[in-house]
Amino acid sequence: MAFIKLDSASKIYETAQALRGVDLEVEQGQWLNIVGPSGSGKSTLLNVIGGLDSLSSGNVVIDGAEITGLSEDAMAVFRRERIGFVFQQAHLIPYLNAVENVMLSQYFHSMSDEDEAIEALKRVGLGHRLTHRPSQLSGGEQQRVCIARALINSPKLLLADEPTGNLDRENTRIILELLKKLHQEEHFTIILVTHDPFVSQWGQRIITMEDGKIKCDEFICYL
Amino acid sequence: MSSSVIYEAFWVGLKEALKAGLVWIVLFSFLQVIDRKKLSGFFLYGILLALICPLYVFTLPVTPQLKELISRSIDTSFALFFILSAFLLAHGSGMNLLGAIERAFGKTVIAAPVLLLLSALYFAPDFAGNSVFLMELAEVKESPAAVYISATAGIVFGLAAFYAARKKIRVDFIGSFFGLPQLFLFIAMIKLLGGGIKGFSGISLIPSVQTGFMKFFHDFVHQVFVILMVPDHPLLKTTAWNFIGILFGPNFSSVAALAALLAIPMLFLSHSFLGPVPEPEAETPADRRKIKGLFMSDRKRKAVSVLLFVIFIVVAWFSESGENISKLYIPKPRPVVEDKGTVMIPLKDPTMDVRDGALYKFSLSYRGEEMRILVIKKDDGKLSVCLDACEICPPRGYGQKQGFVVCIYCNTPIPVATLGQPGGCNPIPLHVLIDDNFIRIDVSEILQKWDYVKSGKGKESVK
Repeated sequence: MAFIKLDSASKIYETAQALRGVDLEVEQGQWLNIVGPSGSGKSTLLNVIGGLDSLSSGNVVIDGAEITGLSEDAMAVFRRERIGFVFQQAHLIPYLNAVENVMLSQYFHSMSDEDEAIEALKRVGLGHRLTHRPSQLSGGEQQRVCIARALINSPKLLLADEPTGNLDRENTRIILELLKKLHQEEHFTIILVTHDPFVSQWGQRIITMEDGKIKCDEFICYL
Repeated sequence: MSSSVIYEAFWVGLKEALKAGLVWIVLFSFLQVIDRKKLSGFFLYGILLALICPLYVFTLPVTPQLKELISRSIDTSFALFFILSAFLLAHGSGMNLLGAIERAFGKTVIAAPVLLLLSALYFAPDFAGNSVFLMELAEVKESPAAVYISATAGIVFGLAAFYAARKKIRVDFIGSFFGLPQLFLFIAMIKLLGGGIKGFSGISLIPSVQTGFMKFFHDFVHQVFVILMVPDHPLLKTTAWNFIGILFGPNFSSVAALAALLAIPMLFLSHSFLGPVPEPEAETPADRRKIKGLFMSDRKRKAVSVLLFVIFIVVAWFSESGENISKLYIPKPRPVVEDKGTVMIPLKDPTMDVRDGALYKFSLSYRGEEMRILVIKKDDGKLSVCLDACEICPPRGYGQKQGFVVCIYCNTPIPVATLGQPGGCNPIPLHVLIDDNFIRIDVSEILQKWDYVKSGKGKESVK
């Protein structure tokens, strides 16, 4: 059974239809990249899978649980226990240092554990930046804190929306190498939205969105 | 006056219904959470069993003895639940006190009758007490039926309120705050708040425990003197006893009472907030944290009712400490006269009956000296006749408080049952003859003993 299954997923906003009956299956542990032009529906698709947005029709099943009809509270529990998010903007708390930002995610999940948070930051190469606040970190370092924060609660699914959108090529490579290493070690599923052809080549599968539909679905060599 | 009687009757009914409803909700929620919901029926059977008490009480005449018995039953009922709770809290604080008993109560065949019995013991004294109160109200009112109808209306109104609110009650949420010890402690607290016969202050915990401690310390000191064979009274003057008496005075015992009531709940709270958390086995660190987090939050939730109890006791202590103990019944001495070397005290006249359980005092004026005698009926029905003075303190006399006579000078409580014993803080016993109508006392004995009391010398010879 597929880890993620979308069945005739449609999303209609007041002025536009973002998704038009999308059918999609993603296996456990797969790294899927979603590409497409602006307004093609790729971020909407990601938000629907992450429970950040609801469908107008159709349904979404993740890890055997149909999330379409979940209440807000149940959805919040589902998100915090099974999904990690990385966005284009870091959204770190400016007055907390790197460790504390990671511990905050632990706190909302269950309880904080400083040793575990430090270990997570060391894994993303920030052992020397533990007590630095976001303003003292570079863009690439901030994104690495975000990855540590997203993975600290051992999610089965990592959703990344343009995670390298604000980074230069060197930092983009560092982030992607890091994701690849963690993906190989922990075998969580990754769905990454990007418009960058370089980034889209990092993964195992690419789907191309156009006008709310999947135009192309191809499996690629895992770099 | 008439409407206030009706209102009081309504309030009594309402209070009992609200109390039963609240205990029911908490108990049902607890049983739901531990998946033993079927046991809840036995709680209701227990209430039905408790209803036998008021039915029986309605057939009895209202006497001070009956009221005293019911009042003590309420105290005992509360004490039962408090002690059970304290025992289980101690168990939950890491001392494994239950062992096999815990497993036994997992079986319905044992748990069900215990629940039924506890339910009956919880409600029976209160139901009986309120029945007596209603009977007294009915005597005031011209149409007694109105009192009972009003009380019934209060019960119906209270139960209807719970029935109407039943769908709003989040049973799982409420149940998550209770383990068995917290359940006992919480319903003991409900009893303390609403278990009195009339209003919210019908039962007073702190002074009861305080009195117990005063008695304990007093007996302890005297017993030590006996063991060491110290002839205490000739050696130690009143000033020395004033210092030793601090031990069994109201202040020391008041603090001791607070410490005794709070010791185990505080131990449990300390365990809940500061105790070690076991490291669970889990697939991922996040799962381990989640299990630990759930364990800790559950432990904190279950500490809430204990914390409430501690706050309640501390507030009660500050508001009641030493106050009730000083509320002594001190009757005015009735004059008696000497006739041919004998004092004759009538057992009964139109204004008194020395066998009614209350303290009576009599004063004898003889050769310009005024001496006092106390008479009180003991639980075994015998009359105790003593001087209204002890061998130690200045002769200020005694007052009555529940089952004790209390020295007005040093506040030492002496159980009425022990009156007649000589020495220490006990009232000095007198040799008497009691016939059908009179208590007869030899004046020379009164004179001799009172003289030593007054002068404070040679107390050993008083014995």
